[in-house]
Amino acid sequence: MNKMLVDLQKHDKKRVNSKHSPSTLAPCSHHCFAVPEMASYAKETIEFMKLALEQANDALVNLEVPVGCVIVEDGEVIASGRNRTNETRNATRHAEMEAIDFLVEQWQKDGLSPLEVSERFSKCILYVTCEPCIMCAAALSYIGIKEAYYGCGNDKFGGCGSILSLHTSCSELPASEFASSKKGFKCTGGIMASEAVSLLRSFYEQGNPNAPKPHRPLKQQV
Amino acid sequence: MKNTESVFPQITHIPEKPSFLPHLQPTVNVLAAVIEPQDANTLVRKLNQIAPLENLRHVKRVRKKCIDGGKPQLSLLLSLAVENDAEVLELVKSYQLSTFITKVCKYAATSKEEWDEQCKLWPTSYHPPTYNISGITGFSEEESQSVFSFMRHTVDLATSSVGQVVNAAVIVDPSTNQVIASACDQVISSPSLANEVSKEGICSNYLENVNQQTLLLDGSIEESKHIINNVACVHPWRWALQSFGCCRPLRHAAIVAIEYSAARDRQLFPDYTALSPLKRQKIEESDSQSNGHSSESLRPYLCTGCDIYLAWEPCPMCAMALVHQRVRRIFFSFPNSNAGALGSVHRLQGERSLNHHYAVFGVVLPEDVFRNKVLDAKTAGSG
Repeated sequence: MNKMLVDLQKHDKKRVNSKHSPSTLAPCSHHCFAVPEMASYAKETIEFMKLALEQANDALVNLEVPVGCVIVEDGEVIASGRNRTNETRNATRHAEMEAIDFLVEQWQKDGLSPLEVSERFSKCILYVTCEPCIMCAAALSYIGIKEAYYGCGNDKFGGCGSILSLHTSCSELPASEFASSKKGFKCTGGIMASEAVSLLRSFYEQGNPNAPKPHRPLKQQV
Repeated sequence: MKNTESVFPQITHIPEKPSFLPHLQPTVNVLAAVIEPQDANTLVRKLNQIAPLENLRHVKRVRKKCIDGGKPQLSLLLSLAVENDAEVLELVKSYQLSTFITKVCKYAATSKEEWDEQCKLWPTSYHPPTYNISGITGFSEEESQSVFSFMRHTVDLATSSVGQVVNAAVIVDPSTNQVIASACDQVISSPSLANEVSKEGICSNYLENVNQQTLLLDGSIEESKHIINNVACVHPWRWALQSFGCCRPLRHAAIVAIEYSAARDRQLFPDYTALSPLKRQKIEESDSQSNGHSSESLRPYLCTGCDIYLAWEPCPMCAMALVHQRVRRIFFSFPNSNAGALGSVHRLQGERSLNHHYAVFGVVLPEDVFRNKVLDAKTAGSG
């Protein structure tokens, strides 16, 4: 597993060096693709995605589907999460749900009102190694997150363009109605996608120990 | 809103695609030609290569028609009418076919009635649902009563807190009629209210404890429509407007019920988590090698085989959570035109790329029949 981390870091360095190349950043859909903005974001985007990948790797080490995320507010990581579906036997415990729940609980303790919680979320940016699934994309819209960056696409479950597009908001509404109506968020995919994919690949090669049988046989430990 | 025909107790399967009246199924135009029977095999083989019918796999390539008791006439489907494929046109030329445009049904038939209508246009194949989820083809009287009973319990839960209506979720193991977990929305609640929501006892047999005196939704629910403002799946963005109390925007009833069922699983099969991941993996390996019965094989995998009852049609978050948790069947009472993901706004049960598919049913309770009749009378009176 340590080797994996080292490998990842090597990759990361390479990517950081080519940080301004827009080719590493693919849009999840045409309307959220903004090249100039992205170029100026690139460096910190990559840095935060590296932290999300670290979370994903932590999931892998613990025999969980390796997806990880961080949530950033004002340039600072305020929450992180990774899959815990096997450990909890709750298939909804995806990285994003873990991180969001952490913040909700935290802000609850701090005595924030719902309005204040909503204001905080509207300043938050999510970095996640894999396109949020339909469940997580809906959740991100419900909490009103500002923006999301993801690594690889998710062509089976993706809720940010692959299967459904839950990140798009439907219409321009007056401010009075906006607060309680459907919220969209800006969403950009393809950031360090190959690193995210290679983590997933190594997980599925070793076999998901929690999957129901019959299933692909687990790789024998040497 | 409800049409009068639907006002009787019923459990309706909500299929993977919008349902059409059998004679109003969508069609597409295709290019076809009458062919000589001796050319049929060769032509079909060639066409399958140069113009495979990717999205029309249910449509048969050849139509056989008997004209006035004479010899049968064969027609061959060449391609979609819009395609104008060069290779197809070449084939048309070399066999001197005279082509015509005709209609075929766009989607595979989901019932015998649909199939009969389809074949009037052009023959198709019909495969009754391959997945075997009981109920799709109808419920016995006993099963129906059980479904009504659980749904009644669910709607009771949804309306049990004073002054507000929320969504409620009840997960049931239908093989034992046992409630695995139940929960209400916990999005907007004072902490005391949240504590009242019970984790269901591990072995409570719900059917024995059915409270028969339930007469729910006594009409007050419709009198002020805003009362359903607190149903999380219907208004998932509304929590931010709350000016007081505790808000946990993602604690929709189904999400909480899944959490309780997972907690129950960990409680009933505690050994599993006590092991280190590597050791756990070793055990799994030896299990799979021995092929024998082990304690682990008795452990349920998530909610496989379980049903969930929801008062309201779930939103995309909850509907997808139920895909992840491998629920077998979903029953709900009230459609959710605002954000429903099982037919109203989205139709997750029809997304073929998902790795798990549940069957979805809408339930009209016997007591709703009464309620709807009162409502209809009211609407008629006020209108």
